[in-house]
Amino acid sequence: MSVAFSDAGRKEFERLLARYPEKEAVILPALHLVQKEFGYVSDEAIVYIAGLLSVAPAQIEGVATFYTMYNRKPVGKYHVQVCRNLSCSLMGAEHLIGHLSRKLGIEPGETTPDGKFTLSEVECLGSCGTAPVMQVNDEYHENLTEESIDAVLDGLP
Amino acid sequence: MPSLTIDGKAVDVPVGTTIINAAEKIGIEIPRYCYHKHLSVAGNCRMCLVEVEKFPKLQTACSTVVTDGMVVRTDTEKVRKAVTGVLEFLLINHPIDCPICDQAGECELQNYYMKFGLHKSRFALEDKVRKKKVQDIGGQIVLDAERCILCSRCVRFLEEVTGTRELQFFRRGDHSEISVFPGRPLNNNYTGNLADICPVGALTSKDFRFKCRVWFLKAFPSVCTGCARGCNVEAFFKGDILYRYKPRVNEAVNRAWMCDFGRLEYKKANNARLLVPFVREDGREKMMSWGGLLPQVAYRLKDAVEREGPDAAAVIASPQSSNEELYLVRRIASDLLGTKNLAFTSRVPGDGFSDGFLIRGDKNPNSRGAQLLRIPGGPAFDELVVKIAAGKVRALLLFGDVLGDLTQEETAGLLSMVPFVAQAGTNEGPVSAVATAVLPIASVAERGGTFTNHAGRVQRFHAGFPPRGKAKDTIGFLTSLANRLGAGWAFDGEASVFRALAATEGPFAGMSYESIGSLGQEAKG
Ligand code: SF4
Ligand code: SF4
Ligand code: FES
Ligand code: FES
Repeated sequence: MSVAFSDAGRKEFERLLARYPEKEAVILPALHLVQKEFGYVSDEAIVYIAGLLSVAPAQIEGVATFYTMYNRKPVGKYHVQVCRNLSCSLMGAEHLIGHLSRKLGIEPGETTPDGKFTLSEVECLGSCGTAPVMQVNDEYHENLTEESIDAVLDGLP
Repeated sequence: MPSLTIDGKAVDVPVGTTIINAAEKIGIEIPRYCYHKHLSVAGNCRMCLVEVEKFPKLQTACSTVVTDGMVVRTDTEKVRKAVTGVLEFLLINHPIDCPICDQAGECELQNYYMKFGLHKSRFALEDKVRKKKVQDIGGQIVLDAERCILCSRCVRFLEEVTGTRELQFFRRGDHSEISVFPGRPLNNNYTGNLADICPVGALTSKDFRFKCRVWFLKAFPSVCTGCARGCNVEAFFKGDILYRYKPRVNEAVNRAWMCDFGRLEYKKANNARLLVPFVREDGREKMMSWGGLLPQVAYRLKDAVEREGPDAAAVIASPQSSNEELYLVRRIASDLLGTKNLAFTSRVPGDGFSDGFLIRGDKNPNSRGAQLLRIPGGPAFDELVVKIAAGKVRALLLFGDVLGDLTQEETAGLLSMVPFVAQAGTNEGPVSAVATAVLPIASVAERGGTFTNHAGRVQRFHAGFPPRGKAKDTIGFLTSLANRLGAGWAFDGEASVFRALAATEGPFAGMSYESIGSLGQEAKG
């Protein structure tokens, strides 16, 4: 399977390339672009941008797997990302992840059979002051409790 | 020059020196995993922590540059505690499977653990993060991901030395793992070095693993015979078997590296060796003793010269021979047989691949030596081949296992034109398949001498053990042969030959084994 950016994607990529002093620096935004264009970061997409940037695929894989913001597998309509880092863990993140697992019937890293939800554990979301925190697609939900989680998820179309 | 004290000992070092290297200068070894002299400084493992007076916190010795008057301590309780703590962290997810690990015995994790370890794990075995073991990641390397301590030496090697960047860290935290991208295995000619620089058993050599526990092996300094670079190596052996080569540091030649082809060159000393002298009579091989065969060889050479003139005899020298051997071979041909038919060639079968880093197109260790010793090469060899093909040569003394880049058939065809072909060689090959008389000589691991590399650097190699089977040291064999041709030589070993050579051969004038030392010396011209 071969992948390639759309014309608009290609243009955006060229713009990024011109913006950074080093090719390696383009890896982060290029991965975001990949995710926007293809929904997730496939092996093929990694090889593709490695080619465009003339870096080794392993370098891109290293970046793509370090950050939890990049999805190496397709995700559901709603990507539920629960912070499991220090502050959130102290404030009970582990229980909330357990609650979400039971509620959705999936383990972290899995997607519901209907493709609606993917549950992920992620590192610090930079909102420690309002821990525990989860991010659903691009929305933050703070000071979570089991009840507020239920309210958020049940309210999603 | 800043001067400082380390553990109370004073030392002066050049500006820019790091504490770890200053300590090494006065014989203090500071523990390290990520630091490697031939790679950039990463400062990530924290094993090298030391106390520096006036610094509130411990400093990493590998990345801290010394300043004048610095007072460093490597042996305090504070340092010990810190290093023990670092080791404990490194071992949290380590499988500690030393009994089935090939690195055991030369593992920095084992070594430092014995020195600084806790000796009692505070972590439950079942809580360890498991990672994939025994992965063939290409090249000469097997990866055991859960043994990796994330020092990044391999990553830096592939970035800074080969530029191929196949290995990277994937994921993060305690799920961090070294690996290659799926479908993109190691793809360079220097992968074997990864097993050398990995301080633990994460990257081990496919070729060597499980062949022998390292503590049963002994080592001696040698030189790779795989090409004209002449990488310095350490040859490891048990009994009369070589088990592996590892690069020996020589900044002027190979720094700390060697190529993957050269690394396997040791096998030639083990496999398909010529081990008994024999003659071929009516197509049948007849074993001989040296005492029986040597006079025959001398007689046939002399006889050809006496009956049909000196140019009925010929000598083909080998760029696999040492300077000492080549010097004697030239004297036998020129002084004793008086023949003009003396030549060598650097050509070998194969592609002559070179890469602008270490690997040279000339696949012989001593072509330069042959040139400097005035043995005709190039066109002279081709002219000699023409003479042989025309049936003008009646007795031929031939060194080496191949005849230039001729195929088996071409070799057989050409040599069938000579009534008497005596080969002095180490391995079975196209020449031993057809020679009239075969004289088995010592391998590079069984004899000593010097090679001159492509850049004119004269380097010593040493005998690790006596010749196998009935193989003979070449210097001894050449001396007996010469004496049967009337020489009256009294050479006793390669050192005596080198002294004679240095006295008469301009490029080697003034050199001695002492001046060559373990790292070599440039010849003149
Ligand atoms: S594989 Fe070895 S060299 Fe590479 S990072 Fe791990 S421990 Fe270091
Ligand atoms: S570069 Fe040449 S001398 Fe060095 S290890 Fe390879 S074959 Fe041997
Ligand atoms: S630890 Fe969860 S947002 Fe920082
Ligand atoms: S050797 Fe200094 S931090 Fe690793």
